[in-house]
Amino acid sequence: MQDELLRVRGLAKHFDSGTERVPVLSDIDLTLGGGGSLALMGRSGSGKSTLLNLLCGLEQPDAGVISVCGELFNGRQPRNGRGDSRRWADLRCRHIGVVFQEANLMPAMSLLDNVRLRAGLAGQDPDDCSAWLERLEIGELAGRYPDQVSGGQRQRAALAMVFAMQPALVLADEPTGSLDRHTADDVADELFRLQAKTGCALILATHDAELAARCEQRLDLAHTAPA
Amino acid sequence: MKLFAALLSHYRRHPLQLLALAAMMVVASALWTGVSHLTSQARASLGQSERAVAERAQVERVDGMPVTVADFVALRRAGHCVMPWLEVERPASTGRVVGIDPLAAACFGQPAESYRGWDQPLNGESFLDIREAKNLAAAGDGARATLSLLLSGPPGQPALPEAYRRAPFSLGPDTGELGESFLLNLDALGVLVLLITALLLRSVHQLGLAQRRDSFALLHRFGVPEPAVRRALVIEIVLLAAVCVVPGVALGRLLAGGLGSGFGQALESLFDVPLFAGQGSSWLTPVLTMMAVVLAVCLADQLHFSGRQVIRRLAGQGYRVTLLTLVAGLALAFVSSSLALTFVAIALVFAGAGVLAPGLISELARRCGRASAAPLTRWQCAEIGVLARRLALPLVALQFALAMVLAVQALVTVFEATFDDWLSQRLAADYFIEVPAGADSLAAADWLETQSPLAGSGRWHRVVRGRAILPAVDGWPGQTVDLFALGPVSNMLGTWRLQAAIDAPWEAFSRGQGIMVNEQLARRRQLSVGDSLTLALAGERWTAPVLAVYPDYGRPAGEVLIHAAQLPAGFRPDGESFAISPDTADLDAVTSGLKRVWQTETLSLRDNGRIRALADSVFEQTFLLTRSMTVLTLILAAMALLIMGWVFFTTRVWYYRLLAVWGMGPREVAGQLVRLSVTLTMSIAVLALPLGIWLTWALVHRVNPQAFGWSLPMAVYPEFWFELAGLSLIIGLSIAALMRRQLRQPAAMPVSASGLSGGER
Repeated sequence: MQDELLRVRGLAKHFDSGTERVPVLSDIDLTLGGGGSLALMGRSGSGKSTLLNLLCGLEQPDAGVISVCGELFNGRQPRNGRGDSRRWADLRCRHIGVVFQEANLMPAMSLLDNVRLRAGLAGQDPDDCSAWLERLEIGELAGRYPDQVSGGQRQRAALAMVFAMQPALVLADEPTGSLDRHTADDVADELFRLQAKTGCALILATHDAELAARCEQRLDLAHTAPA
Repeated sequence: MKLFAALLSHYRRHPLQLLALAAMMVVASALWTGVSHLTSQARASLGQSERAVAERAQVERVDGMPVTVADFVALRRAGHCVMPWLEVERPASTGRVVGIDPLAAACFGQPAESYRGWDQPLNGESFLDIREAKNLAAAGDGARATLSLLLSGPPGQPALPEAYRRAPFSLGPDTGELGESFLLNLDALGVLVLLITALLLRSVHQLGLAQRRDSFALLHRFGVPEPAVRRALVIEIVLLAAVCVVPGVALGRLLAGGLGSGFGQALESLFDVPLFAGQGSSWLTPVLTMMAVVLAVCLADQLHFSGRQVIRRLAGQGYRVTLLTLVAGLALAFVSSSLALTFVAIALVFAGAGVLAPGLISELARRCGRASAAPLTRWQCAEIGVLARRLALPLVALQFALAMVLAVQALVTVFEATFDDWLSQRLAADYFIEVPAGADSLAAADWLETQSPLAGSGRWHRVVRGRAILPAVDGWPGQTVDLFALGPVSNMLGTWRLQAAIDAPWEAFSRGQGIMVNEQLARRRQLSVGDSLTLALAGERWTAPVLAVYPDYGRPAGEVLIHAAQLPAGFRPDGESFAISPDTADLDAVTSGLKRVWQTETLSLRDNGRIRALADSVFEQTFLLTRSMTVLTLILAAMALLIMGWVFFTTRVWYYRLLAVWGMGPREVAGQLVRLSVTLTMSIAVLALPLGIWLTWALVHRVNPQAFGWSLPMAVYPEFWFELAGLSLIIGLSIAALMRRQLRQPAAMPVSASGLSGGER
């Protein structure tokens, strides 16, 4: 494991449901070095997706400190809304790639245009994008639209989008959750292969124990869940 | 019942969709009811005013003396229904009032069945009890009072005593032709509003159905037969329509009442007849019409009719058929000789333009996207294409509304300008003084020229009205035209706008070197300046060159203007009057001088300034009304696009969140939304522009001439274009602002990729 890429201390988050305050995450600590991998385990509702959202700035913590890619975000201090928001956006743009279970692609654009769009936003050369689709064995589908390819092919395209931006950290939220076993294994293989090849860090939220076992570290949110 | 509950559960989860559909039904019903109600009201009011002007009569003394209270008593004792009408002219700040006697008016309240001109109560603001009017006149603050005796009953019944005669009693100008044209355009506006509301209703309903496609599929998998789902949907829409249409109609009537009351008051002032807003069409017609429209547009897909296959086959031909429809409509509008065909042509052009517009935007976006190397631009273009396809119906409705506003604004402005010119021409002089029957107009003219305060001023002229015959010559059939003989040529005539003329036409006219003709006659006989025209006057043929063609502002009859000195001795005029503008001269000195010349105690003096002010107020109100209705239509179309954009965006917000996930700041994402929505609304505004200009042309040059035989001048007003562009910008920004609110909420991931299909490419 290389230098520390991510450090989280005392992270907490709750949601309001009507008048009720529902705690989701409490006192989360974790550390991840560059090139390392971490599996987030836990049953549905345990806060896996919420933690990923916090780690890429899509949601704000109630408390805790996040240090990622050299940027420090302190949840306990009064919000520096616009400044934090801008820094998080810059991180997501260039350094943090996110893969969801589904709907990672713009439906009105071809697979290639989707990859180009993501790479272009990250400041990468859009001309290299065909090569990423080739590497993920969907080069011949470059001109097709998301609804013209299978779920597995869509997830491969999503991986191509993420790795085309050459991220330092990939956050994957159950990226194989909607696929059949065989396809899921193929997509997972590609994910770990590319992670190893590019040297980026990976945080993977999953129910799948086998998949989690392929990661260097595991964090079971069932054990850290608030009472 | 369980099926129905399952279907309705969709709206429990998506109340906004139900609200959108219900709101659209209510607002659409209100708008169309408002327009149709106002049209029927305006038609009733104008008809009433025309009848009143045509049917009102007064009693005059045969000896030319003014009528007095003694005459009133004599006539009432003789059993005639007469009513005293004391008109008190006060200084400008206080205006005119009319004193009437409610007791004497009682016999006007029970007219014969066949005579309906007086069956309205007299309670207008300017009416007072005759005693109060008399007191005002006696107050000595410069007020001038004139007593008239109004006569009830149709002409000839019963015969008046020998000392009296029946005479018309009219204070207003004849606005019938312009009014009819206005009403026709209001009718056309009503049809367009109905079309736009139908489109909006269908768009909201179709979007709702698309959102429920997965639910229907689920029900089908659970074994519910398709016809049962269809039946439940029919019941659902019937119930919803029943709940929403009636309040919509009520709202429309309220709207029409508010807008129409001003219109009615203005007409009251002009015609001195109380005309009430709120009368007119019943509840049943708008309710049934809107129910029919709602059911037709929402359930059109459920119907199985024989023409459906044909329509599908035609639809399969896509843009070729649409283009053909558009071209056929344009061609038909050029060649059509009947009003019905012209309306068919307008319908074809709108249908073609409506189907083409979203496709055109989408295709242009696709081409722009392909031409660009920038990934973000390609995404923007792709997204514009999706929005244009998915929001096609509300966009087309907005396009129609914009085109309609453009046309109506241009038309109303042309009407206003025309009406203003018409009044300027007809009422160029400050006063008209009618020559009493049997009086010597030449003696009066001689007095005015030599001894009156107006002598040598050029501020008066004599007008002789009559008829002339154009004999059949050179293949032209014989024709009777209106004749106006003027002389001397006063300064007022110099203000007339002439369409074509020789140099110094009025000088040549005053020397009797030719005649002038109106636009209608020039068109019909293909007359140009310099052509000769032969007239038969009092049995004598007379040929003279055309010195000028003057605009007739909608008057369909042919007119010839000759110098009064050219009239043959045997010519029998229909009427004579003097047009005078006293300026600084003493009007009373002029009128008393004329009374002396004609040896009469009374003069029929018409104040053109007052008539002009009254006429202006009527038309200002009607134009305001038209503008209000078109702007309301536009607001409805904009609201529909907002609602549709909102509902549609709920299905798409995830993809805009993806942009944020990919590193775009909230402001940048919002900026993208603004760019997309503004591009969309501005594109539709650009496409509405040619349609609006064409509609203006069709109304001015095709509909009006075919309906009334005359044409208004065609004019376009680029400042309206900029106003509409500004409005489209505001609509686009509003949509973006609404969508931006949704971005603040966590977005739900689309359930499945299949949910993405439809309109994406």
